Amino acid sequence: MSVIVALTLKEAMRRRAFLGTLIILIGLYGLTFLPRAFKEAFGGDQQQFEVGVNLAVLFGVDMIKFFSSVLAILLCAGAITAEIERGYLAAILPRPIHRWELYLGKWLGVMLFSAANATLWTAMLWASVAVQGEPRAEMWRALPYVLLYPVLYGTLALALSSFLGASIASMFTVAAGAFAYFADHFLRPIAGFFDVRLLQQMVWLSEWVLPMAVLKRLVQIRVDTILPPGFGERPRFGRPEVLEFLNPPVQNTDIAYVGLYIVIALLVGAVIFWRRDVQ
Amino acid sequence: MWAIETRNLRKVFRPLLGGKPLTAVDNLNLQVPAGTVFGFLGPNGAGKTTTIQILIGNVYPTAGEAFVLGHRAGALAAKRKLGFLPEKFQFHDFLTAEEFLRMHGRLAKMDGATLRKRIDEVLELVGLSERRRSKIREFSKGMQQRIGLAQAILHDPDLVILDEPTSALDPLGRRRVREVVQYLKERGKTVFLNSHLLSEVELSCDQVAIINKGRVVKQGVLEDLLVNRSIVSIELQQATPQVLEAMAKVAQRVHPIDERRVTAEVAHEDDVPQLARAIIEAGGALMGLQAHRETLEDLFIQTVEGESK
Repeated sequence: MSVIVALTLKEAMRRRAFLGTLIILIGLYGLTFLPRAFKEAFGGDQQQFEVGVNLAVLFGVDMIKFFSSVLAILLCAGAITAEIERGYLAAILPRPIHRWELYLGKWLGVMLFSAANATLWTAMLWASVAVQGEPRAEMWRALPYVLLYPVLYGTLALALSSFLGASIASMFTVAAGAFAYFADHFLRPIAGFFDVRLLQQMVWLSEWVLPMAVLKRLVQIRVDTILPPGFGERPRFGRPEVLEFLNPPVQNTDIAYVGLYIVIALLVGAVIFWRRDVQ
Repeated sequence: MWAIETRNLRKVFRPLLGGKPLTAVDNLNLQVPAGTVFGFLGPNGAGKTTTIQILIGNVYPTAGEAFVLGHRAGALAAKRKLGFLPEKFQFHDFLTAEEFLRMHGRLAKMDGATLRKRIDEVLELVGLSERRRSKIREFSKGMQQRIGLAQAILHDPDLVILDEPTSALDPLGRRRVREVVQYLKERGKTVFLNSHLLSEVELSCDQVAIINKGRVVKQGVLEDLLVNRSIVSIELQQATPQVLEAMAKVAQRVHPIDERRVTAEVAHEDDVPQLARAIIEAGGALMGLQAHRETLEDLFIQTVEGESK
């Protein structure tokens, strides 16, 4: 399996993913210098500067979540069916390896690449605020949960790629992500404020279909301490169940569900790949 | 012992969204003796590639059984002793020839020392020693086919399946493939060769099987199948019914091409003078006659056309 992992990593490098990594690194580095640039241009006290740094860090963490997920989707969506169609697996499949080894090897390769990227980006974000005298350890505490984003999306894209071409697999994965984002950011407030039962059920369902909101909460509680005053505050009035619906607390089972979701998606993809004809 | 054996092998492809099922392989019974160079022939769409895909474990049969070197097709034990050169392939062209072979050697579970030795040997054998550090993307199509052949024989397999190995090669490249096939034969390996270049098959193979519509329609030792039969191309002043009738008494088959030209098949080379005599005795004006031994191409066309009628 290590051969497949190494091959997947080399392929990721070949596909100029490294160039993307570099551009995002530069973007993250530049982002953190914006508060200082604003301070120097428009003035402001130290407290305003710190709030600016905190916002840049929070935005940077969001960027890392987004770009590492996109990278994982791009690399995983074309890993199975597209490679079969292009003929890359024609000489590899007859080798004495199980199909699940090939599948898992590709998954591990992409995940290692995505994790390395996300860690590198986090390190850059941390270093660039640290050199300005404002180190933020919160992003390191959030990193294990941030890494779950590319794992979640990559696993889903790989499972879909076991029977779909690259463009369709990535399209469905992005659509699932968009649905989860829409449900959490738009449907949830509407369903909560207007107390629409059907919409609340849809939001609840979306978390089962793709636990992105669950992941968001897991990351959020690690970086909440640097939230500027007034950000992320819960509504003060309303029925307790509606308030809880609007701002669900993190449960111990959340991480277990995300883990289970990833394992099941991985297994489903592996079984489909194992049972399908390859030609 | 059979290197390859299939029993009533059948593969039906059923479209996911309905539609007409396609029977690619239909009760295929095939026996390939160990240590032979075996030609697997058939027209396009006959089921050759599907059969090969079943043998290497890429496609699951709908019914029947397939065995490779005594193991069920697709089993790891079978794959360990199997080398395969695919017809349509895209190698990881960012690797050098040496890296590519090292990767395949590791996938074939070869140990380091043996692998290094074998990489040198197979690169020499396919004539790519001097390009070992070149990236595969810099290779011509023919060179890519040769590096594909090198990966197929790298782990010294007992059975090598070559799917159209000479399709992209020039005459020199083809000769090298023949030499590799000969090298494998001398070492007691079985070579299962699927090729449309029948002259190549005729030069390399001991036995052949011709399949059509998913079934074996002819199988045997090449020398037995092409036993002494001759094809005679005849040019007459005019191919009258009397002349054709006289020819039919001597020949096994008579195919008039046009008013002047006729092709006839005789069972033995010795029958050719008798055929000429029959034409003249029937009043035919013989303008020209050329006899040649039946080739594999003749046998192939006759078998496939006979099946289609």
